[in-house]
Amino acid sequence: MLRNYIVIIKSSFIAMLLVSNIALADNIEVHFAFIGQKDHAALLGAKQGLSEANLQGQFLNQKYELDLISVENVNTHDFSKYIAVLTAIDIDTYTKLADALPNIAVFNLSIKDDGLRTACIKNALHIIPTNTMELDATNQWQKKKPDSIAKAQAWHPDFVKFAARDLNKRFKKNQKVLMNDNSWAGWAAVKMTSDAVARTKINDPAKMLHYLKTELAFDGQKGIVMNFRETGQLRQPILLVENNKIVAEAPVRGIAKPPTLDSLGILSCEK
Amino acid sequence: MKFNLAAIIFFAFVCNLVSAAPTGRIFITNERGDSVSVINGSTLTVEATIDVGERPRGIGLSPDGSELYVAVSEENKIKVIDPVSLKILREFEAGSDPETFAVHPNGNIYISNEDDAKASVFDPKTGEQIAEIHVGLEPEGVAISPDGKRVIVTSESTNMLHVITASDNTIENNILVGSRPRAATFTQSGDIAYATAEISGEVVKVDMNTGEILKRGSTGDSKSKPKDVVLSKDESVIYVAGGRANKVVVMDATTLEIITGIPVGKRVWGLAISKNGKQVFSTDGVSGTVSVIDTSNNEVIKTVEVGKFPWGVVIND
Repeated sequence: MLRNYIVIIKSSFIAMLLVSNIALADNIEVHFAFIGQKDHAALLGAKQGLSEANLQGQFLNQKYELDLISVENVNTHDFSKYIAVLTAIDIDTYTKLADALPNIAVFNLSIKDDGLRTACIKNALHIIPTNTMELDATNQWQKKKPDSIAKAQAWHPDFVKFAARDLNKRFKKNQKVLMNDNSWAGWAAVKMTSDAVARTKINDPAKMLHYLKTELAFDGQKGIVMNFRETGQLRQPILLVENNKIVAEAPVRGIAKPPTLDSLGILSCEK
Repeated sequence: MKFNLAAIIFFAFVCNLVSAAPTGRIFITNERGDSVSVINGSTLTVEATIDVGERPRGIGLSPDGSELYVAVSEENKIKVIDPVSLKILREFEAGSDPETFAVHPNGNIYISNEDDAKASVFDPKTGEQIAEIHVGLEPEGVAISPDGKRVIVTSESTNMLHVITASDNTIENNILVGSRPRAATFTQSGDIAYATAEISGEVVKVDMNTGEILKRGSTGDSKSKPKDVVLSKDESVIYVAGGRANKVVVMDATTLEIITGIPVGKRVWGLAISKNGKQVFSTDGVSGTVSVIDTSNNEVIKTVEVGKFPWGVVIND
């Protein structure tokens, strides 16, 4: 009697395992964490990315969620369920957090410091361009137009090429503000990760980190495939903006050496 | 009396032939020219320019060739033009930001509404919307199998080919392809489709019955961001608009290896092939030209100046 009972329990347990396995194979739930102020532009970008990830996910049985975590709660929060952590925080908090979460991609959406790149923190992925990248962009442009007072930006709400128009339009419609550098960065971090989940079904943070660092071919709506340098910095075109109008894109054609995205910024780690 | 009757029958027959005969014209939408250029198919010169409204993009013909349809994006409309008289006959609302469309053998229009993440089906006779299909972000290319069974809608930002069963307008499959899929075309049998992916710079060959990607082929250098794709008449090669590579890339339809690149104007997007397979027309957006390619030797035989930023092309043959 008892023996039979155990057999029944065993078989139903196996059946349960099988069912949950099948469910796992078909349905993926993906969690992102965002650390920063709840009114930060980067969060709006991440939210936009999340809605797009869920739009794509409905065709693939994938669901995406985003938890907002305040800086004060970082030390006590359990990060184990997250595919990646997005941050718009100060450099000290960022460095400590990246160190505490060595097997999760920690996206930097706001800090432009070059030293944070050349330190080559293994799990740090920087979406926002550095000060040097912006400086190189303006220098290239000034070689062509010596009087220009243009400043460098990662994004602009008037950018229309490469379907940037579409991204600006739907961001404004959904988030009620114009897309800026930080919101583009937040959008890009979620978008590149969810695109990777869609293609590879990876839902393990360490495997995702490896994929993003080694196999990424990201369409960030800037017209060119993007990936990360060994410093963890995203290679990307930079816009030159004068009097709030886009006047050029860097790498500046005919000026940039090399004529690629690597004409912008520092390429390698501190030796 | 007998003679009269025969004459009437003969006259009716000739009239019928005349009205059904294709004009031989090539029609081009000029995205920033807000117009349609009309190219004479024999002389390969522009014989007329029709003002159609702001930002015309997608262009197509009714199955019998008697009506020309133009998607006027900024006006959210499709305008119906008589390809003979070149007069705008009527117009109808076509959803938000209509971009590319294809005409089903039954006459209905399947159109992508770029900023609404959906495709809509319209009856161009009445202007009535028949169905709405939710697809991925930035839907763009639309292709319909020659037998009318299946429709492909590409979504650029969701990186998918959405395969729609035309009989009930439901999605039967979603196929993930490269970054920014822009256009697709079917083989005559409808079993195979080719699709371009702009940012990853590749063409995929897909088994439409299983959804399996059979082959991937690169369109070459990094500037090559492919858009339109058409099949040769014998289905042995595909012609791919190479974007800023400023060429039409000819690829083997089986291996997807590059056979040659035909230099055309700047930023080539639109392509159409004549029914007899002898000519391919490309729209060279930045140059403001249409290139005419002789498929027997893959050479440009004529470059025709059209309006500002030519986008789509269709042949009334």
